[in-house]
Amino acid sequence: MADPILSLSDVTLTLDGNAGPVEILHGISLDVTPGETLGLVGPSGSGKSSLLMLMGGLERATSGRVLALDRDLTAMNEDQLARFRREHMGVVFQSFHLIPTMTALENVATPLELAGHRDAFERAADELRTVGLGARMDHYPSQMSGGEQQRVALARAAAPRPHLLLADEPTGNLDGANGAAIMDLLFGLRDRHGATLVLVTHAPDLAARCDRVIELADGRIAGQTARRAAE
Amino acid sequence: MSLPVAARIARRELRGGLRGFYVFLACLALGVAAIAAVGSVRESIESGLTREGAVLLGGDAEMTLTYRFASDEERAWMEGVSDALSEVVDFRSMVAVVRDGETERGLTQVKAVDDAYPLYGAVALDPPLPLDQAIAGNGAVMERVLADRLGLKPGDSFRLGTADYTLSAVLAREPDGAGDGFGLGPRLILRTAALEPSGLLAPGTLYEVKYRLKLPPGHDIAALEREAGTRFADRGMRWRDARNGAPGMTRFVDRMASFLVLVGLAGLAVGGVGVSAAVRSYIDGKTEVIATLKTLGAEGCTILAAYLMQIGVLAGLGIGLGLVLGAVLPLAAGPLIEPRLPVPADFTVHARPLAEAAVYGVLTALLFTLWPLARTEEVRAAALFRDASGRVRAWPRPRYVAATTGLALLLIGVAAAFSGVPKLALWAAAGILGALGLLVLAAAALRLIARRAARARALRGRTALRLAMGAVGGPGGETQSVVLSLGLGLSILAAIGQIDWNLRSAIQQDLPDRAPSYFVVDIQPGQLDGFLQRLNRDPGVSRVETAPMMRGVITRINGRPAREVAGDHWVVTGDRGVTYAAEPPENTVVTDGLWWPSDYDGPPQISFAREEAEEIGLKLGDEITVNILGRDITATVTSFREVDFSTAGIGFVMTMDPAAVQGAPHTHIATIYADPSAEAAILRDLASAYPNITAIRVKDAIDRVAEVLAGLAAAIAYGASATLVTGVIVLIGAAAAGQRTRIFEAAVLKTVGAVRGQILAYFALRSAMLGAAAGAVAILAGGIAGWAVMRFVMEGSYRFEPVSALAIVLGGALATLIAGLVFAWRPLAARPARVLRARE
Ligand SMILES: Nc1ncnc2c1ncn2[C@@H]1O[C@H](COP(=O)(O)OP(=O)(O)OP(=O)(O)O)[C@@H](O)[C@H]1O
Ligand SMILES: [Mg+2]
Repeated sequence: MADPILSLSDVTLTLDGNAGPVEILHGISLDVTPGETLGLVGPSGSGKSSLLMLMGGLERATSGRVLALDRDLTAMNEDQLARFRREHMGVVFQSFHLIPTMTALENVATPLELAGHRDAFERAADELRTVGLGARMDHYPSQMSGGEQQRVALARAAAPRPHLLLADEPTGNLDGANGAAIMDLLFGLRDRHGATLVLVTHAPDLAARCDRVIELADGRIAGQTARRAAE
Repeated sequence: MSLPVAARIARRELRGGLRGFYVFLACLALGVAAIAAVGSVRESIESGLTREGAVLLGGDAEMTLTYRFASDEERAWMEGVSDALSEVVDFRSMVAVVRDGETERGLTQVKAVDDAYPLYGAVALDPPLPLDQAIAGNGAVMERVLADRLGLKPGDSFRLGTADYTLSAVLAREPDGAGDGFGLGPRLILRTAALEPSGLLAPGTLYEVKYRLKLPPGHDIAALEREAGTRFADRGMRWRDARNGAPGMTRFVDRMASFLVLVGLAGLAVGGVGVSAAVRSYIDGKTEVIATLKTLGAEGCTILAAYLMQIGVLAGLGIGLGLVLGAVLPLAAGPLIEPRLPVPADFTVHARPLAEAAVYGVLTALLFTLWPLARTEEVRAAALFRDASGRVRAWPRPRYVAATTGLALLLIGVAAAFSGVPKLALWAAAGILGALGLLVLAAAALRLIARRAARARALRGRTALRLAMGAVGGPGGETQSVVLSLGLGLSILAAIGQIDWNLRSAIQQDLPDRAPSYFVVDIQPGQLDGFLQRLNRDPGVSRVETAPMMRGVITRINGRPAREVAGDHWVVTGDRGVTYAAEPPENTVVTDGLWWPSDYDGPPQISFAREEAEEIGLKLGDEITVNILGRDITATVTSFREVDFSTAGIGFVMTMDPAAVQGAPHTHIATIYADPSAEAAILRDLASAYPNITAIRVKDAIDRVAEVLAGLAAAIAYGASATLVTGVIVLIGAAAAGQRTRIFEAAVLKTVGAVRGQILAYFALRSAMLGAAAGAVAILAGGIAGWAVMRFVMEGSYRFEPVSALAIVLGGALATLIAGLVFAWRPLAARPARVLRARE
């Protein structure tokens, strides 16, 4: 088996809630192999989003180690994390999180630009065409539907060709048809660029499309199913 | 619409407390407080002036004669109507002190008094002698500045004209000082009887005699004024009474306060923009609540009413705070201010200025909140399903546009009515509206350019710059609200900077090049030849101008009382210099009519200054009656001349033909243009040869005027500082309001790989661009406003002053930058996960 692209060992996360510190994740250990599609499922509040944020370096683990591409995310500062993300990671959120003062094209071009690509805008335009938004490049987020906004977010995450795609319920805010379209795009991107995908979802049919599904409950890994491996 | 429901919603929203409303409250409270404080101080001074009117005037009524004492008949009438009568002679002279063979001289304003002086109030001396004792015999008292300048201590002697006097005490306070108006020299008081040997009141000398009347209780002052008018108006006697004991002071205070109220209003306008931005950002944050309420079936107007009530309560709080502050500040500062004021003041809580400030506050709050509040009606339930922060801006419905316009007009009308200077108020309003218009245009232009630039190829790769361009050019009202609030504040500061600099330089820089060294008065006709000989011999003297002068009061124009015809024009309100000449003096430009022949001796003719004649409405052929030394001379206007009063040279409004004033006692005045190095010797020789003359050093006189103007400039600067503080608060408010957005942007940018330096550079560039746009408009608007005020209000010339303008603009840009960066700390430090999760 190849070296894991992502490796968590005994990770805990404690956040300061209103009533004092709350331990949200309790000693999570897991490996993700390159090219794999991992599904994270579990009841609401079980810590799926928190775990994904840790994987993306968007949240700092209270203890334990998070290794991504053999780099220790827990030892990096904010800037190192940012540089690491722009080279290796794409993140898609449930609420899209586009910057409202930027057009679709600008939103998608930003990570490319940050990564120093001279042809950032051309590549961003290609990416938008890929997700079917060739006609919407100069629209601001407020002028687009939810599904369109999520497609922009997807293009933004995929444009720099990341090794690792992290998606937190990317279809949670969308209706069935839109959701399905987004999922097809997401899996299509994974297939085309050979990226590793970690996907948080509530939908059983989506979980069914993953190579492996980890179930969280109460901040702990409660179960694991490896589907592809079983086939 | 359901009001009870609206009220319940409002109450629930108010439970959230004041968070997010500090800027709103501060802007409103500061603006109202500044206006209330200025109004309160004005009211305090005016009420003090009214209460102390008789003391300031030195009597219940005062009748002034120029050049002469009252005749027995006039005096008999005055004694008849009054309980007590005091005669005061007022004139300029020079005090001379001989020490070690050197003579030092100082200009002074002499007040020669009788036993009855002062009718009201008391003179305070240091050491505290009674006045009677201090000025007994040839004793005299003088103000400390003069004593210090000449090195005199009580007990020392000095010379006035040709007589010696002894300084017995320093004059600490004269009760009627403020009523006397603006004097060029410090005050000296002595007995009129002691003046005899000085030779100073020779015929033709410039002096005024004031008769102060203490009237019996229950007198009818208006009736008495009418009687005095019919009896003495044609004899050049002027009337004043305690109803306005210090008219010059009242006018000055009035003018100053009105001006300051206008500055305060401008500050309130700046605050208003801040208030508007605060409400807008609050309503933006409430989009989801509003959309949800609508989904639940609330009507648009119910929601508007709810938020209007909420903002109304908060505005009430802000205005209340401002009123308390505005009332308490002058009370607290009163004991500090009062000793420095040349006039008495009643520092208590005055209702009227507070009420005025409250009206201003309510109108401003309504004017600036209605527009953003009206946008609640535009929020659709659909906003729930879109990203709310990027909503497309729409104009509110026509009725709100109409209501806003109406409120603006009402506010302007109220300002015109309350300030007492309607024209100035209207111009100020026009200026503020103009600046706002310019700023709206500038903001729109900036957005357009930034949007273009964000797409420009040249910017590709310069991520921070492109991000900044995108943010400035993108949707959301932030660009406009920052440019508006900052720009308006900076414009006002820039305008004040321009006015301040121009006021100062008008006096300090421009005049002295052209102005003479000395202005000499009271040269007796027999002294003129010797006087000119001494000067013509002196190689340091480049030019001497002399002219005969007498003083006269214009009593009638075409047979009608002059005040009826010309109102309060300065030419008819006091006595004016009158000269005569056979031929037009050098440099005279006759603009209309004909100068009399040089040997003319027909009916009296007069040549009048063109500009003043125009202002009064004189035509060629009009008959003017001038009372000179109690004698009426009626002359026909036969020509108009160009007269320039701004160069401090000799300029007369009225010139008569020599025959018209033949035999009238008069003196000569002279202006001497000399090298500074020759000045001291000239003064020494002339003053010892002719002790009766008074030489006024023009530079000193200009310095005195400069002092007054500096006071004015300082007051304006104080007013401006309130605007500055408001501006800074608005700025902080704008930065704080944008922080929610900044935090989110930083989190997203970090997620897609931006390091903190890039994000910081983006924020900084964005602030700098907004600041620069606001600053550019401020230079333009401030320059125009400064020019208009200097040209039309101060009636002076204007020159653009780049240093203060640049300083203000750079300061503004820097302030925006710093506020932006300070507020960027938190976004930069925040973990993306926390921020983004909160927005899920
Ligand atoms: N800032 C915070 N402080 C304290 N507790 C928090 C904070 N943010 C989240 N939590 C808690 O952490 C737990 C895990 O949250 P998380 O968002 O990871 O759950 P989730 O599995 O993604 O749920 P969902 O399926 O609803 O998205 C929840 O119980 C939540 O209440
Ligand atoms: Mg979640």
